[in-house]
Amino acid sequence: MPHASSRLASPPPPDSRLLSSPSAHDSLSAPAYTPVQVRQGFGQYPHVPSSTNSLGPFAPAPIPAQVNQNANVPPNPTPMDGTPSAPPPKGKVSFSDAVRNYVRRAFLPANLDPTIRRQDIEAKLKETISYAADNGLLDSTDWDAMPLPVELIKKDLLARLNMPHPHPGPISPVGSNGSASKKRKSSDRAEVAAVPWRSTNARTSSLEDRITHPPADNRPAVDEPLPKSSKFQKQMEKRQRRWGNYQSAPRSPTPPPTMGPVVGTCEVLEKRYLRLTSAPVPSQVRPEHVLHKTVELLKKKWRKENNYSYICDQLKSVRQDLTVQRIKNNFTVSVYELHARIALEKGDLGEYNQCQTQLRSLYGLGLAGNPIEFKAYRILYFIHTANRTGLSDALADLTPAEKRELPIKHALHVRTALALGNYHRFFRLYLDTPNMGAYLMDMFVVRERLAALCNICKAYKPDVKLRFITEELGFESDHDAAQFIVDYNGQHLLEERGEHIALLTGKAGALFESARAAAFRRVDIKGQI
Amino acid sequence: MGMKGYDLAQTLSPIPPADKPDRLKAVWLSTNHYGVKDDVTHGLVQALTSRSGYPREEVREEVNGWTEVFSAYWKAIGELLAVDGDSIVNGRRTSWTKVYEAWKEMTMALHRGYTHHNFEAWTIPCLYTAGKYLRAFAIKSDEERGQIDAGGDGLEIRDDFDPEMEKHQQLRDCEQQLKRIFTLCLTDRAEITESRKWGIYAIVNLLFKTYFKLNSANLARTILKALSTNKGNMPPLEAFPAAQRVTFKYYEGVLSFLEENYVEAEKHLDEAWRGCKKDAMPNKERILAYLIPCRLLTTHTLPSKALLEPFPRLQKSFLPLAQCIRRGDLHGFDLALQQGEEEFVKRRIYLTLERGRDIALRNLLRKVFLAKGFEEPKNPGDAPLRKTRIRVAEFGAAISFANRETTDSDEVECLLANMIYKNLMKGYISREHGIVVLSKNGAFPGTGV
Repeated sequence: MPHASSRLASPPPPDSRLLSSPSAHDSLSAPAYTPVQVRQGFGQYPHVPSSTNSLGPFAPAPIPAQVNQNANVPPNPTPMDGTPSAPPPKGKVSFSDAVRNYVRRAFLPANLDPTIRRQDIEAKLKETISYAADNGLLDSTDWDAMPLPVELIKKDLLARLNMPHPHPGPISPVGSNGSASKKRKSSDRAEVAAVPWRSTNARTSSLEDRITHPPADNRPAVDEPLPKSSKFQKQMEKRQRRWGNYQSAPRSPTPPPTMGPVVGTCEVLEKRYLRLTSAPVPSQVRPEHVLHKTVELLKKKWRKENNYSYICDQLKSVRQDLTVQRIKNNFTVSVYELHARIALEKGDLGEYNQCQTQLRSLYGLGLAGNPIEFKAYRILYFIHTANRTGLSDALADLTPAEKRELPIKHALHVRTALALGNYHRFFRLYLDTPNMGAYLMDMFVVRERLAALCNICKAYKPDVKLRFITEELGFESDHDAAQFIVDYNGQHLLEERGEHIALLTGKAGALFESARAAAFRRVDIKGQI
Repeated sequence: MGMKGYDLAQTLSPIPPADKPDRLKAVWLSTNHYGVKDDVTHGLVQALTSRSGYPREEVREEVNGWTEVFSAYWKAIGELLAVDGDSIVNGRRTSWTKVYEAWKEMTMALHRGYTHHNFEAWTIPCLYTAGKYLRAFAIKSDEERGQIDAGGDGLEIRDDFDPEMEKHQQLRDCEQQLKRIFTLCLTDRAEITESRKWGIYAIVNLLFKTYFKLNSANLARTILKALSTNKGNMPPLEAFPAAQRVTFKYYEGVLSFLEENYVEAEKHLDEAWRGCKKDAMPNKERILAYLIPCRLLTTHTLPSKALLEPFPRLQKSFLPLAQCIRRGDLHGFDLALQQGEEEFVKRRIYLTLERGRDIALRNLLRKVFLAKGFEEPKNPGDAPLRKTRIRVAEFGAAISFANRETTDSDEVECLLANMIYKNLMKGYISREHGIVVLSKNGAFPGTGV
């Protein structure tokens, strides 16, 4: 039985990429889960790895203190060729002429202001450009129309002058850069990116309006939009006037200061998940730098306690805080990847599906993460839920380069094998699944075994050796194969023949057909709880 | 209903007629924000008076309704001219979202016309025009927003972002409006000759189109259910204009196709195909794109060269596949499928076409069977009998050849078992002897042997 023994001899190696996620924290700290082994049992859910096991080979590493440990560096060896929009690692970025020109213009004597120090301009420049770099916007930003750092700093100053309360979040490095930079130390780059949002908060817009811009143009009344035009539209208009064509640049690093999302002020790390029924209250929302600490804490707890209901609840509240603050960056990706992996491991398909849907759109924004790994899961997931529309979409999402990546290639082969009824190939692929895909495959392997058994019983006469079933259907042993047949009331089909056991396929009739039909019917289409 | 309904609807079109390219501008300049309602009312009353004397009291209500509609139309035209950057509106900034909102106002005014202002059923083509462009503007607005900022800055009180929602925000809103119009038509209790029910298929088709764009074809089922429960008091489909019938059948067919109900799909698509105008080539092409894969699965029929001749695109996608299936060329089939993959996936026929490989394999095995020839007749006069015992290895050699790579024996058996399981080949595998024993009568059902 060559394949079975070779399988035992080489269990899937602990895959370090499972354990990392894109932010600097994550890659340096300990993993939150153990690699998955192909499981051979019949149970619905994969077994829970013991906590000692999961702690085993991975010693916890210190949390990095440096801001400049760029969150952007791909944390794992997965080649990223397939994601053209993924930002390249910092340091290797070659800036376009537009960016260079922007930097040059920033320091032209004509553009300087004696009241603003050079280091503040440098800091602002860095912030602006790294925001664009982190979000893959270097090329799409209209650098010629981008306000110069001096202007941005003035805006920030005005905004802060007008602020009723001390700002809870980190403050952009203007003026007393001492305290500001200190504060930022424990957080990471992504948080810096969020600064422009904060420093130009909604509350500050009125004064700014008056100072930086003359009153709205006096257009003829006939031009006024319909009386029905919403508040939102009016604000939109106002904003467009204010920013001129600069506004048309996608995802500007300093989004307009009107009606921004909630900015959290909650400093408590843990928070129970509660479904929102009204607008979120800032004091109950954790800002991003707090969420970073929360996630680190959660990872530690998960490793130690392995308490899924706790971790799921906590991660949902983290996701909610990210959403209400409209934070969509590499950290967001890492949170969803973390939850997706844990949910997969625990067979919680509902949560997994929610995370996967988010990840799809986050990767679509060009954020860093592990798109190859998760796009492969996505295919396997849709195979499991027999969702043809989803599957079609997942296929349409793939670039040619991605199709050549091992995990995706594997998932595509699995799909083809099943589509053509090639159980022989399917079970070979099952025994050789990369990453955590086996958790997903475990969920449909039983029904595929039943399908294959139906096939074999109809095609082979008068019998086959049990060993043949064991090998073709990827069972661990003859005993497991026999047990499977007995579980589906096929004991009378097994016959001792001295050397071997025979399966009397000719006598099976439609025995496994109803079990097969039932198994395929049971698929929880949406995967929701 | 006649043509006057369509003539009326034409006055609500956001596209100027070909012979009057400046019509929209003329409309816009003909009045202003303050005067628009009075001007419209005045115009309507004047038109009515010149025809049949001063309008009677009961017509007043109707005039009020149309005043609302046409003033809303006038405003929408203003937005439309502005978004086109027309200097006539002082080049102020605007967006497709505003065009959409303004057009929606008009659509709602029209809707109110039927519920509150006694609009008559002959005017329903106005609803088609309103709905058609509402959908078009919704799509424009969604595209535009996607370019500026996918996120927007609305208040978030959800746990997660809803990417689909963000992508199609306006179109979803449009779908709600269209459904209101659908209900408006469906629930009309007037005499059938005076009923808005005559508008139902035009609106249903718009809705279907929207559902497909929203990637939620399954929602179309609920519409079909509503239709079938009201079947009794509706005019039969045959009584509707051919264009509406064909479009409806097409969508119904595609829907069944996506649900993998190929027999139903074939029925509907076939009806659409036969109802389609001879020279409506783009429509015929659309229908064929689903009908061909349907036929491949239901009756294993391949498209002929002559059928594909007038459709270069279909020819390019389907002809190589059909040829490989016919020849039993597995490798060629895989290549042809790969070649067309992008197009097939887009049309959502990839997963169906893929199953054509079974037919290619069946044809290949059949060739092996035919090549084996006949048994020695026992008596000189007996009818010749084909050899029905074929070694797995012989099939294996053919499969390896057709795959252009060695296929191991276990996999060959698996493929053979599949053929038997799917009733494409009759017989059984004797693993002990390594042979396949084929049925003496009809080893390959439906192929003459």
